[in-house]
Amino acid sequence: MLPWNYGFHWDLGHIVFLGAFYLVLATIAAALIAAARRARKEIAGHHVDEIAWHGDFHDLPARDRVCRHVLTGEFKCRECPHAFDCRECETHAKLIQRHPFERPERPEEDLFGMAFPLDRFYHRGHTWVHPEPDGTVTVGLDDLGSRLIGKPDAIDLPLPGAPMEVNGTAFRVRKRDADVRVLSPVDGEVVAAGGPGADWYLKIRPTAISEAAFRHLLRGAEIRPWILRELERLQLALSAPAGAATLADGGVLVGDLAASCPNADWDAVCGEMFLEP
Amino acid sequence: MANQVDKQFIARGVSRCSAPRFLLWIAPWAALLVFGLYAAALCLIKGLNQTNMDNRFAFGLWIFLDLTVIALGAGAFFTGFLLYILKVDELRSVINSAVVIGLVCYSGAVCVLAVDVGQPLRAWFTFWYPNVHSMLTEVTFCISCYLTVLAIEYVPIVLRNRKLRLVPSFLVFEFELHKLIYVLAGVGTFLSFFHQGSLGGLYGVLRGRPFAFREGLAVWPSTFFLFILSATAVGPSFILLTTWLAQKISRKRLVRPEVLQLLGRISGTLLAVYVLAKSIDTLVWINRTSPETGFPAWQYYSWKPFGSWILVAEIGVCGLLPALMLLAPKLRRHTGWLVTGAFLACLGVALNRFVLTVQTLALPTLSFDRFLRYTPSWQETGTFLAVVAYGVLVYSFSFRYFQLFPQERDLKLDALEAEEPELVGRY
Repeated sequence: MLPWNYGFHWDLGHIVFLGAFYLVLATIAAALIAAARRARKEIAGHHVDEIAWHGDFHDLPARDRVCRHVLTGEFKCRECPHAFDCRECETHAKLIQRHPFERPERPEEDLFGMAFPLDRFYHRGHTWVHPEPDGTVTVGLDDLGSRLIGKPDAIDLPLPGAPMEVNGTAFRVRKRDADVRVLSPVDGEVVAAGGPGADWYLKIRPTAISEAAFRHLLRGAEIRPWILRELERLQLALSAPAGAATLADGGVLVGDLAASCPNADWDAVCGEMFLEP
Repeated sequence: MANQVDKQFIARGVSRCSAPRFLLWIAPWAALLVFGLYAAALCLIKGLNQTNMDNRFAFGLWIFLDLTVIALGAGAFFTGFLLYILKVDELRSVINSAVVIGLVCYSGAVCVLAVDVGQPLRAWFTFWYPNVHSMLTEVTFCISCYLTVLAIEYVPIVLRNRKLRLVPSFLVFEFELHKLIYVLAGVGTFLSFFHQGSLGGLYGVLRGRPFAFREGLAVWPSTFFLFILSATAVGPSFILLTTWLAQKISRKRLVRPEVLQLLGRISGTLLAVYVLAKSIDTLVWINRTSPETGFPAWQYYSWKPFGSWILVAEIGVCGLLPALMLLAPKLRRHTGWLVTGAFLACLGVALNRFVLTVQTLALPTLSFDRFLRYTPSWQETGTFLAVVAYGVLVYSFSFRYFQLFPQERDLKLDALEAEEPELVGRY
């Protein structure tokens, strides 16, 4: 079949037919090689977490990809175009310039029995970031995240020195049949690892501690509408067939939700709430 | 334990039946596949004497099956073309399913061809010693290449499996391959255009078979263009039909109704163009091509059971009627009409391929010829059924473990929210 093989003649039929065929083969091969080379480059450049989050974000239901300014009512509907990384979002920059974040009057927001201290920032994957005086930040699960996990069956924490990037995997938690990754809220390097007993999970030295470095994190008045939305999502997740009874109006979430909902598909619930579809 | 392991491979947020129930579903199809493989093995080992084909009736059930599934599988390339090249983004919700259907159709066709041609160990001869003047060579090349393209397009769907995504190299390769998918969609369109055409063309150039012979443009008989048109017309209908079937069998909403209606509209529009072209082609054939070869067209329809009803059924009942059903917005909004229209369109293309394959060969062309009759042997039927079973199995496994319908999770949440009227604004 090859030009130097059996029966090949330099005539129009052979040239057009085989030329088109070779072009197709070359294109397919080039696409495969390009994908393999680019994949190798991405792995070498440690971009696996970034790509994983890109895929996860894309797979989230449309209602879970909404912009933070939809939660606060500034937009009626808007899908986040930056996969929850508002640091590069021009719209977010303009909006906070117009309505700067106000210093909270209360030290803590109490939401249906859950405590959300306002001295810290919150990530939409249910972690908080608390700046420490020594220039590090502590990272922990917020109250809703803690109640979802309760007492974890196992935790896979990174070792000190491990690099962290926003929306990459901070650590993994296992509870019942759920094995979920918790998203990192900041860029930086792990200084120390804690755990559920230590009140925080990770101590991280952030790459930058400027306001812009934490711009993607929720704070102050944004917490309440976000948590309200999260409770709705939780209620929907628990409403799934074979799930537990839906939450009663006005109730308070129990400390270990997993133990209270033995029939719920906890893997699906945690996947939904920790943004790992 | 098995249930737990099985569950880890199923995407979060979607529900699938239990592992034992799934086994119960696939068991009869697996049995049918085994039976069919036995029949195919007999044909390969003992030869084509296991079939009821002979030197005169050289095309039978298998070629009819090949032509039909390749036409129905055209939904894969056409949906890819519309989504990645023309940016019809609504079709994203069915593209994965379309790829699986295309892969099943083309790989099934290639397997049956391997049995039909026989001596699979010499399959490479067709590539090494190509007859570049044969339309069948073009078909062989294009189908082989397009099957490769479909297999590559299937890779990202497999690698997006929840467990496989945990392997970093799989995750990143899938991501990078998906970024280049428009290249593959373009190549697929190019290949499909030519092999769909060449499959039709090979009938149109049969001068010795005036029933099939057609005039055309340059080296391409009209059947070349009619096959392309009919395949692109029914491809979306077949996607619509299989999606509806998957919804019925799984008892889940997999895509929004608007997507099915869009597929119906695309199919209806192209089917209307095809019916017009086919009608003109038939009129030209009746009034000019056929008489010029010495056979008045009515003569072909005097051989029973192939009466003129078959022409009416092909162009009218399974062509014009579904085109009108799929084009009428009011009818399209009703699932019953939409699915009936899609089914008739698919039936029409199968009938067209049957007419060109079986009726063409059955009709006498010389004065001493007789009308030939052909009934497939059980080995041929078994091989045919093996392809059907293979298709159902591949689709079932893909549906269970891969995300064929990305809207499924959204629709499930929509349904749950609809059941909770007081949810929004409760706090």
